[in-house]
Amino acid sequence: MRFRSVIGLARVAWRNLWRNRRRTLIVLSSVVVGVFVLVLFDTLNTGMVEQMLDNQLRLHIGHVQIHRRGYHANPVVERFFRNADALRQQVAAAPEVRAVAPRVLVHGLLSSAYNNGGVQLVGVAPEAESLVTFIAEQLVAGRYLAAEDPEVLIGERLARKLEVRLGDRVVAMAARPDGQIGSEVFRVVGLFRTVSADFDRTMAFIPIDRARAMLGLPPDAAHELVVLLDDVRQADALKTRLQAGLPDTLEVLTYRDVVPLLVMQRDLYAEMMYLIYLIIGVALIFGIINAMLMAVMERLPEFGVLRALGMSEGRLFLLVSLESLLIGLLGTAIGWALSLPVYAYLARYGLDLAVFSEALAAFGVGSVIYPRLTLRIVWNAWLTIPLVAWLGALYPAWRALHVEPIEAMRAV
Amino acid sequence: MNPNAIVQAEQVTKIYDDGAVPVQALRGVSLTIEPGEFTVIAGPSGSGKTTLLNLLGALDVPTDGRVFFEGQDLAMLSRRERARLRLYKIGFVFQAYNLIPVLTALENVEFVLLLQGVPERERRRRALEVLEQLGIGELAHKRPHEMSGGQQQRVAVARAVVSRPRLVLADEPTANLDSTTGVRLLDLMEQLNREQGVTFVFSSHDPQVIERGRRLLWLRDGRIEREERK
Repeated sequence: MRFRSVIGLARVAWRNLWRNRRRTLIVLSSVVVGVFVLVLFDTLNTGMVEQMLDNQLRLHIGHVQIHRRGYHANPVVERFFRNADALRQQVAAAPEVRAVAPRVLVHGLLSSAYNNGGVQLVGVAPEAESLVTFIAEQLVAGRYLAAEDPEVLIGERLARKLEVRLGDRVVAMAARPDGQIGSEVFRVVGLFRTVSADFDRTMAFIPIDRARAMLGLPPDAAHELVVLLDDVRQADALKTRLQAGLPDTLEVLTYRDVVPLLVMQRDLYAEMMYLIYLIIGVALIFGIINAMLMAVMERLPEFGVLRALGMSEGRLFLLVSLESLLIGLLGTAIGWALSLPVYAYLARYGLDLAVFSEALAAFGVGSVIYPRLTLRIVWNAWLTIPLVAWLGALYPAWRALHVEPIEAMRAV
Repeated sequence: MNPNAIVQAEQVTKIYDDGAVPVQALRGVSLTIEPGEFTVIAGPSGSGKTTLLNLLGALDVPTDGRVFFEGQDLAMLSRRERARLRLYKIGFVFQAYNLIPVLTALENVEFVLLLQGVPERERRRRALEVLEQLGIGELAHKRPHEMSGGQQQRVAVARAVVSRPRLVLADEPTANLDSTTGVRLLDLMEQLNREQGVTFVFSSHDPQVIERGRRLLWLRDGRIEREERK
């Protein structure tokens, strides 16, 4: 079939749409609402899961991590590596790397005069850490760490549990590589509140040199180098390159290796959206079938005349399905046009779900959700809805094909 | 077989068996239509005129007997092939005009050319030319509901002849027109026949149409009762 014939039939189909303006507008409205809901729901959902992942990456995980081989599988204090500063400079020289920070990590106990709790003690180089993670920006009281002093940053929730305030002292205790228990007194200088309730309950940040001293580690030791990239998509390539240039005693991991469940969760959310598309598609398709079937039944005599004039079954099928496809395309376009301003507003100001903040904090998501529009969403909405509209025309078009020209000539 | 024939029916029988009682609409009809004819199939209602026209126009197949179009047995063609034959070789004028209501007169005339895959500029030129020839160029941009019955039927004639078919079949073309409009329409068709050699076959019981036919086939009870040539 020639392209110009298709264009010509599309024009006729377009005119046919407006024979029964009210019916077309009703079907069109349902498509518009469907697209509007899908776009906003999908962008918000995508925004939420991306925020969840981003928060974890920017809070602590980073995009790439370097450890002594085996540390990730079994993170014990004696699996540290040496020459952390030299390695840090080597990694920082890579063009896609934005910042690198060394860490000393150990599970320990933090005690106040009133209570105690198990924590992850994180020894950080304050300035470097502030470039890699946004913990410095999450303070709700006090100040950020100084490089040398025995100070600790803890979460608001942990402070409540330990019943400590700014300026109070806490004792940190942890197992050293030699099997002894290392301990030191730290002054609480800052309280943070992040989007993750779990993080706020279990993390304590101290200066890296104090951590090394407490654990009896050499001055150039670290358990982890955390790397932040300009673009998260470069993580795999950097991993491959770094791994090739580093000693075999070190292992390079991307965030996918470090938090595979979180990445899976993000992918699972994306796949769940297909279920939502399916539900909305099924809801739409019955309305479209109904409207198109009415339109076809009303025009059976006319279809008979078209067949008498020599219109092939293929072209008649195309004519009816084009009518439905045009409704799908027009509805999708209007749905997008209506949803984009709402999206733009929410992308700027966010959707405030403060009423669910506790539940969202448990998921590591902030109470303000910012939608995120991706190519996948654009593609899915533009493909799914017109396809559903076209599928909705299949049965009515099939009915139209079965008209006999002479029956029509008798009927008219 | 007549080598000059556009369409030829041989001992054609048609029985409609879709009701409680089978109805024999045609009983062994044979006829030949040659180029340039202006033939009227006349007869009372129920005599089988429309059935015969449907068979000649490849819209239906006979129960018995054969219909050849340009020597090709229509019974041997698929639905698709018969549609293609109608598209390229046969023009139809219906009693109720049957223009497409959402299209203008020009677009209605163009529609057959669109189905034939003629480029837009070419089909527009040809459609306008036919409308002008039939003296209804001023109706080009009007839709059917904006035209009188006579005007619509003229547009239908333009649609039937625009692709220069071998044969135009007109089923009771004047049945819905007043006598003056009917006369004008017949003048037009006669002019097309005379000046451009368009072959017309009518089915009608309208005396005005019968009077114009140069060849008359009188049908009664599914049989050709007599034939007259003028």
